[in-house]
Amino acid sequence: MSGGVDSSTAAALLHASGVEVVGVTLKLYNASGTSASAGGRCCSPRDIDDARATAASLGFAHYVLDESEAFSRAVIDDFLGEYAKGRTPNPCVRCNEQLKFGPLVRFARAVGASSLATGHYARLVPGSDGVRLLRAVDREKDQAYFLFGVRVDDLAFVQFPLGDLNKSQVRQAARRLGLPNCDKPDSQQICFIPDGDHKAFVERHGAGGRAGDIVDESGAVIGEHAGTHHFTIGQRRGLPSGGADKRFVLRIDPATGAVTTGPRDRLGRWAMHVADVRWLRPRVPGAPLRCDVQIRHHSTAWPATVTDSGVSSTVGVEFEQPVDGIAPGQAAVFYQGDCVLGGGWIATEGASDFPAAQPPRLTPPENQNPRLDPLA
Amino acid sequence: MDAAAPRIYLDHNATTPLRHEVQAVMAAAMADAWGNPSSVHALGRQARDVVERARAHVAGLLGAVPEEIIFTSGGTEADNLAIRGLARAAWVAKGPRCKDQSPHVISSPLEHPAVHGALAALAAEGFAVTLLPVGPAGEIDAADLRAALRDETVLVSLALANHEIGNLYDVAALAALAHQRGALFHCDAVQGVGRVPFNVQVAGVDAATVSAHKLYGPKGTGALFVRRGVSLDPLVAGGHQERERRGGTENVLGIVGFGEACRLATAEAPGGMAGTTELRDRLERQLLDVPGARLHGLLSERVPGTTNLGFEGADGQLVLIGLDLEGVCVSTGAACTSGTLEPSPVMLALGLSPARAREALRFSLGRSTTAAEVDRAAAVTGQVVSRVRAATPVAIRP
Repeated sequence: MSGGVDSSTAAALLHASGVEVVGVTLKLYNASGTSASAGGRCCSPRDIDDARATAASLGFAHYVLDESEAFSRAVIDDFLGEYAKGRTPNPCVRCNEQLKFGPLVRFARAVGASSLATGHYARLVPGSDGVRLLRAVDREKDQAYFLFGVRVDDLAFVQFPLGDLNKSQVRQAARRLGLPNCDKPDSQQICFIPDGDHKAFVERHGAGGRAGDIVDESGAVIGEHAGTHHFTIGQRRGLPSGGADKRFVLRIDPATGAVTTGPRDRLGRWAMHVADVRWLRPRVPGAPLRCDVQIRHHSTAWPATVTDSGVSSTVGVEFEQPVDGIAPGQAAVFYQGDCVLGGGWIATEGASDFPAAQPPRLTPPENQNPRLDPLA
Repeated sequence: MDAAAPRIYLDHNATTPLRHEVQAVMAAAMADAWGNPSSVHALGRQARDVVERARAHVAGLLGAVPEEIIFTSGGTEADNLAIRGLARAAWVAKGPRCKDQSPHVISSPLEHPAVHGALAALAAEGFAVTLLPVGPAGEIDAADLRAALRDETVLVSLALANHEIGNLYDVAALAALAHQRGALFHCDAVQGVGRVPFNVQVAGVDAATVSAHKLYGPKGTGALFVRRGVSLDPLVAGGHQERERRGGTENVLGIVGFGEACRLATAEAPGGMAGTTELRDRLERQLLDVPGARLHGLLSERVPGTTNLGFEGADGQLVLIGLDLEGVCVSTGAACTSGTLEPSPVMLALGLSPARAREALRFSLGRSTTAAEVDRAAAVTGQVVSRVRAATPVAIRP
């Protein structure tokens, strides 16, 4: 229970259905004495109070587990380290992957619970060959992307009561159940950067990337910048205005600090490498896998073929069309329809290995089914 | 949790329930003694009367005279008043004789956070603070105190009984050492008063802290004993109350309840806790049968109701929560209202690693504890410890 309306409602719905509920809030960082609690971000003291108040108003036990040390290591240090390497981190995926579920499942088992429920918008469908993780019914709120890194064993112990509901139904349920936080705004920012200023946070922790030149594709210097952490692939903001053509970040070189820019049509990549891949579904080793690959939260899942790279737990991904904004450090998640097959972390966006604008290496199969944009 | 099973309360070192007799005198005072004790008129006199009767009861329990009792908002305030108020006032007298020296105070790493907070406040003012070394069972060696005392030492503050492990200390001997070097001795007696005989004359202390809610009185009320003739700088500016040592209109209801709790404790003192010791030992024997159990603290000299154990590989907080869901209320020792999981400084002072320190669990028994409760608590603890160990096969924290 983060203190937000989603997890509170998930708990309240279970409680209302007669399940014996025990509330637990992870304290992930120390926001005491700062304005971090003002906007009601996850895990600030105010949010812990909101979670406690919800549990008290419904009449079930609530506890706080301090995971701030582990969070600082696994999520915040990783976040800073990724920026220093010129990459674009995704701390929310990292938190779900490394932090959230492990301690919570251990906690749940330790107190004798039969299941762990969270307020994630995703669905879990049990089957003879294990549990399937599916996108939520509410595509706007869908969080399945964040969950590819959760261990299969843990998922088998988990339930997501909100997966079949849309957000307005959740708000309605929260009001109907009289939750004290039913009108609390959704959190928008990364929880430990409540003001949303990533750059300032990175700099405050002395972890910025190199300062360097802003160059065009020919290498000609068109400006300079104060650190690579100001940029992500596909970004337009903060670049010198280049006449009629709008410029976008194409590449970030952490070693030299060079940020390469170019026109939008040079953003597309046919391929990428994805490292540290975990599979939630059984997979035939070595066989190319046709699936849809989502390269960041709220992006389209692009048709692609995943092949073994020869390096352990690293795969190659070849798209059926060039894809914009592939940023190393972001999570790449593999889907078949609504089902999450697995995922990993974008290692290289193929600039060197797979020159931009090269034609696809694999010919698409003949009788290809029409693909629907799952977010449409 | 089996909803039918009544709660078993084994956290009396955190707080005790309000005794019925105490509730009754408080209810009566609520109706009759609502005047301001400082008022000249009849209602003021009525309130003053109940406050002074209560003061006499508190003094009686401690072997003090009433004017030596200063009512406070509780143990934390009394510790602060004693440590900061005595040290500052004593340095005014002693400082001129200790040229070029910083004023010095002595305490131990086992003390309550209220004491450590007050010491930190003194340190920020330029006082030097020595924390005495501690043995693996929480022993404090008088020789270490003797060695730590200096000419410029103004105050020694050590507890009568430790809040987490229940160790009892030979306050009389320690206070005598302090006095030999011209230092004052303050004793946080919160966890001892009402549980073991404690007389400020016998102990020879200059100041002692007591708290009402640790002896079946109300929360929000405590007292500081300060020996007659010892000067004290007040913490609160303004207000003539408590002989100008603690300003603010008296918490009449709380004080009345506190007085009654002390009166009852005085009347019942002899032998009143023998049964509690027996039950504690009964609980301890059963808990030590759990594989991987170990005891923390000085087993020969402890307050009657307290035992502190760790179950190797079972995180204390998870066991506490598991017990709570089974209706058994205990503590990890460290107050963790906000869920912070710093290992207890007391456990670290005993030499435990942070991982072992996080396994510590405190069971503290009270007047109403029964053999059946103790037996059930022990059985449930065994089950919960096994479940926690099974759920956390790898150490949950490094």
